[in-house]
Amino acid sequence: MAKAEEIDVTPDEPYRRAGAAIVRVRAGELFDHAEGVLDTRDIERVHDMRVASRRLRAVLEIFAPCFPQSEFKGVLRDVKQLADALGERRDPDVHIDALRTFSKALTAANKHGVARLIEDLEERQARANEALAAELERAEQRGLHGRLLALADAADPGPEPEPAA
Amino acid sequence: MKARKVSGLDPEAALADNAERIIRVRLDELCGFMPKAADPEEIGALHDMRIAAKRLRYILEITAPCFGPYAKTATKMTKELQDLLGEIPETEQFAERLLAADTAALHEAAGDADDLDPALLKQVPHARDHAGLAALQAHLRARRLILFDRFLELWGEHERKGFRARLEYAVGERADAHI
Repeated sequence: MAKAEEIDVTPDEPYRRAGAAIVRVRAGELFDHAEGVLDTRDIERVHDMRVASRRLRAVLEIFAPCFPQSEFKGVLRDVKQLADALGERRDPDVHIDALRTFSKALTAANKHGVARLIEDLEERQARANEALAAELERAEQRGLHGRLLALADAADPGPEPEPAA
Repeated sequence: MKARKVSGLDPEAALADNAERIIRVRLDELCGFMPKAADPEEIGALHDMRIAAKRLRYILEITAPCFGPYAKTATKMTKELQDLLGEIPETEQFAERLLAADTAALHEAAGDADDLDPALLKQVPHARDHAGLAALQAHLRARRLILFDRFLELWGEHERKGFRARLEYAVGERADAHI
């Protein structure tokens, strides 16, 4: 599982400024994990992106009062939708993996049912992968990353630029 | 389960002060599921307790360095609890899925019959699969019992170690640390 990046935020920092800094980093992590996520041969990729989506969603919910509510609601809804699509893909990955391990301990007569179930789950995995592909495209079309950064900027625009000499 | 609203959050106030408010509410939510969730029949309470553990874990993961050292220990303890609780509903849903798959296959094979002929079990396309699926169900149900016992054991350990009181104390402290 990808480790979350440490963020330079102090306890006495204003809540809104901390929220902005954390959202910027967690949003970046989410989209950094998008590459290769649809490749079902490497199930860790979707796992990493799902974890990143859960972290981002948690941060948005924790810092909710810091953001302009009209924009915040739409962004949170889109993040949840992406997180759900990642979850739908991840669940069959986990079950297939567990069933393959379980099947090794079974007698030949008992293997059929489990193999059947694995086939069924593989079909579900493929459908979930198509849905995830559509959701990733939707996130891009709707500029989700940019909207997350804009939300962070609205909470805290960052340091004032140095005045020109 | 909808999270309880946290009142008094102020975007201009210090991160630690706001986080303390959130943690106190989330901790109270989590602890409020016991003793109900200790009843193995209360699947819903157990599921909601998992969500409460997840919410507490996430706020702790982000803000534990703001507080006394026990907050970091509590983060780990909450994760252990959530991981264990997480296994329970997923296992249950999985067993339900298997039951539904078997039932659907038999139902289809029965056609317009007034009642279900047990002999149909031999004809349905999954006839060879039933033994394996039944073995899997037995495995999953037994595993659920084991995980539930482990959850009760872990919660008892948390209580013995003063999890709630120590975390409440820790979030009242302020550390001079970066997150």
